[in-house]
Amino acid sequence: VELEVEDPSRLPEMCEQLLANPLIEDYEIQT
Amino acid sequence: MRFGVVQFPGTCDERDAARACSMVGDAELLWHADADLKGVDAVVVPGGFSYGDHLRAGAIARFSPVMGEVERFAAAGGPVLGICNGFQILCEAGLLPGALLPNTSLRFSMRQTVLEVQRTSCAWTRACETGDLLSVPAKHMSGRYYASQPVLDEMTDREQVVLRYASDPQPNGSLDGIAGVCNAAGNVLGLMPHPEHAVDLLNGSADGLRLFESVARVPAA
Repeated sequence: VELEVEDPSRLPEMCEQLLANPLIEDYEIQT
Repeated sequence: MRFGVVQFPGTCDERDAARACSMVGDAELLWHADADLKGVDAVVVPGGFSYGDHLRAGAIARFSPVMGEVERFAAAGGPVLGICNGFQILCEAGLLPGALLPNTSLRFSMRQTVLEVQRTSCAWTRACETGDLLSVPAKHMSGRYYASQPVLDEMTDREQVVLRYASDPQPNGSLDGIAGVCNAAGNVLGLMPHPEHAVDLLNGSADGLRLFESVARVPAA
């Protein structure tokens, strides 16, 4: 998933709440 | 009893769900953008491809305005049924434990399944007996139920596994053959097969109707 975000510090929160389902998915943030 | 059937962009089984509900009560559609359940007595979140399954099945739909109301309704003990994509949405929303992974075949699976009833104190299986076999069709790409072992142990202790596949092979590779689970209180049920497509013998089975009858006609013990 490629995103343009104003506040990169919110990326983990975005992943936890929407972009990934931590129960079944791992994620890695690349900036 | 008045049923509300939730409709998201991409939902495709709302008419069959409403018809099934109307066979045991009254039914009306609830639009995803309206934070209003219109005073219904039970909610059905039907199958389909809400928001085109973007990101993951159910991931976007759980944030719809109507889902906030569904969560409050469920917390107050209101009966909620999630079918297929509706099950995926309820899991994403945290109303049910676990998640649905892609089928082990990595193919869309469509077949008649046999479900064995595991628990009858759930609001949606009160018209059944433990061990009853229900013939219900399933059609999905991501129906493989998964929960971590600690969660699964907790679910077992609380008798939250309501339906298991009795047909072999099962359609998706679900953990322990799980086809449907409920919340701890027993008022929220999710399942991958489609009971709303099995309410008329002309379609091969009317077994699915028993889930709707459970809520509408059988009082809680």
